[in-house]
Amino acid sequence: MNIKLPKFLYTNQFGLLCLVIIFALFFTFVTEGFSSRFNLYALSRVASIDIMIGLAMMVVILTGGLNLSLGAVGVSTAMFGGWCMESLSIPIIPSIFLILLAGSFLGWINGYVTVKTGVHSFIVTLATMSIYFGLMTVLTKAQSFKNLPDAFTDIGSMKIFYRYVSPLLLFSFFIGCVLYYLFRFTDIGRKLIAAGANPSAAELSGISVNRMFIYCHMLSGILAAIAGIMVTMRIGAAIPSIAGHLGFDWLLPAFLATVLGGTLLSGGKVTVFGTILGALLVTLITNGLLLLDVGIFWVRFFLGVILLGTVLIDKARAYFTEKNIVVS
Amino acid sequence: MRIFIFLISTLLLFSSNLYAGSSDTKVALVPGGPHPYFAAWEQAGLDAVKDFGLGKADYRVPAEWDLSQQNELIESLVGKGYNAVLVFPGDSVGTNKILGELEDAGIPTGALAGCVEQPTKTRFCFGTDTGHSAYLGTKELIKALGGKGKIAHFTGFLVDPNTTLRIKAVEQAVAEAGGGVEIIQVIADIDAYEPADEKINAFMAAQGSEVDGIVTTAWVPAVVSAQALTNLGDKRIKMVGIDHDEVVLKAIKDGFVHGTMLQNPYGQGYIGSYIMDKIRTGCSFKSDAPWKSTSQTDQFIDSGTVFVDITDVDTYVMAMRKISLEILETFDSKYLDC
Repeated sequence: MNIKLPKFLYTNQFGLLCLVIIFALFFTFVTEGFSSRFNLYALSRVASIDIMIGLAMMVVILTGGLNLSLGAVGVSTAMFGGWCMESLSIPIIPSIFLILLAGSFLGWINGYVTVKTGVHSFIVTLATMSIYFGLMTVLTKAQSFKNLPDAFTDIGSMKIFYRYVSPLLLFSFFIGCVLYYLFRFTDIGRKLIAAGANPSAAELSGISVNRMFIYCHMLSGILAAIAGIMVTMRIGAAIPSIAGHLGFDWLLPAFLATVLGGTLLSGGKVTVFGTILGALLVTLITNGLLLLDVGIFWVRFFLGVILLGTVLIDKARAYFTEKNIVVS
Repeated sequence: MRIFIFLISTLLLFSSNLYAGSSDTKVALVPGGPHPYFAAWEQAGLDAVKDFGLGKADYRVPAEWDLSQQNELIESLVGKGYNAVLVFPGDSVGTNKILGELEDAGIPTGALAGCVEQPTKTRFCFGTDTGHSAYLGTKELIKALGGKGKIAHFTGFLVDPNTTLRIKAVEQAVAEAGGGVEIIQVIADIDAYEPADEKINAFMAAQGSEVDGIVTTAWVPAVVSAQALTNLGDKRIKMVGIDHDEVVLKAIKDGFVHGTMLQNPYGQGYIGSYIMDKIRTGCSFKSDAPWKSTSQTDQFIDSGTVFVDITDVDTYVMAMRKISLEILETFDSKYLDC
């Protein structure tokens, strides 16, 4: 007798969902305080940012490229937002709009230079990472913007669902849904995927591949800017060190979320919910290992091993991926 | 380093009146990142548990100097049940939010070895008056130079809230020298071995013949500078360092370094843990407590600093012990309402 299981059960996302549940149960039983209200709230807040930076990386990996300037864009736009709100006294909503605009502009630079020069985005964004971060440091003199409106910073401390969850997590889910809709149901989304999957074929079918690649980088810049806004809300100030030196600290979680989620490094396939689950899994494992008193240096070690292992599995999986399943 | 911690802890153990504290106080001591300066906090926490009857006083280090990692570490420690947090701020502004959230959750917090900027809900800042220490060290250097000469200043991370204070303090001491002394170079952001080694040795190669004195106000630059002067065999350049690394102490004994400004990391961890337990058991700070003010906070407690040179380098442990005991013995009466 052949039993036909739902298609979802065969997907990478289902495996990830199972892993998230298994790890959550494991840490609940073996650690002290994992399921405490304080810890779950803290975890939800970290996860919301990891999801956003994962999505920001995902939309560039769709093109077969990389965005190493993710953290630099996030911190630069966050500092720009701090300057708008504190020094220029621009209200919150227009400031957020300007931050997103700045993010898309920095992303546009990445995309434009990449497609016009033909140099791999790895090199281009490696250079712009230093340029953006350096320029930000020079312009701000590495000074923080700490007198931001309370209405803005209070969002980072808000608690919902009996104070177990940060609303930032729901916002990240919402952005994930918007991206899913974009890639699954809109013409532009399908063009973005087609350009990433097979640039030559896409070009022959009338899609401007270069323009699509620039759009992807702009979208990545906007998502990185949103992550910058969320970190600023969380910290309560715009400071130059929110993503570490040059923004490096965002790279490992960004790659982990994307690759674990099932997005192909060669481009042409995005897994929005996979990336969200990947980010959740990374946050969960990091938090659980810290609670287990595994030294934080070992946490980095484990995350590196997970990334390497996943990339190797991804290489094997690439042979078997059906190209017609481009969004899941 | 370990000998220093062992000696200080042994001396404090046998000298202090032991205090029976609350057994459910669990203190987390969290530096901004990995750095040899904070290593003494580990033993300090263990001794505080033993001497004051605390439940726990554990030293936990973020993998990097990164605010997000420090925040995540603090949150996970609180999730584990730590109910008092002593932290070297990863950022003097950015750390405020999480400490405020902990205070709102009923978990007392204190800034250790570096302050957060006010307004803050953090109860106190207990550390070296870094500006004063840098000022005194520079004064000692100027004295050794006979009141004239060209000096260089090597200091720590720009994200370290103390760095700006140190730079200003050195400038102030030089300004007070009456024009005889000139700062020809300030090199910051070198409190790690690779950049310190590269930049200090490059400076020595390029301007070593022009400089008469060096003042260092961070651990690694002090070690690298002392090593560089020792390797060069240069006793012409006078140097005043900071902290008690073996390399610096040996260079003082050998005559390559004029002296060093000692800080008190062990005392910070030990007495800091004591203070947290007192706060958790119902004590509060007196309204007329003799707080000191810095540019960042007006609730500062000085953990002490002392200059040692070749005459007292062998007995420096006694000097730090004296300072720690003085603070501990009079702390309750000066600062606390219990």
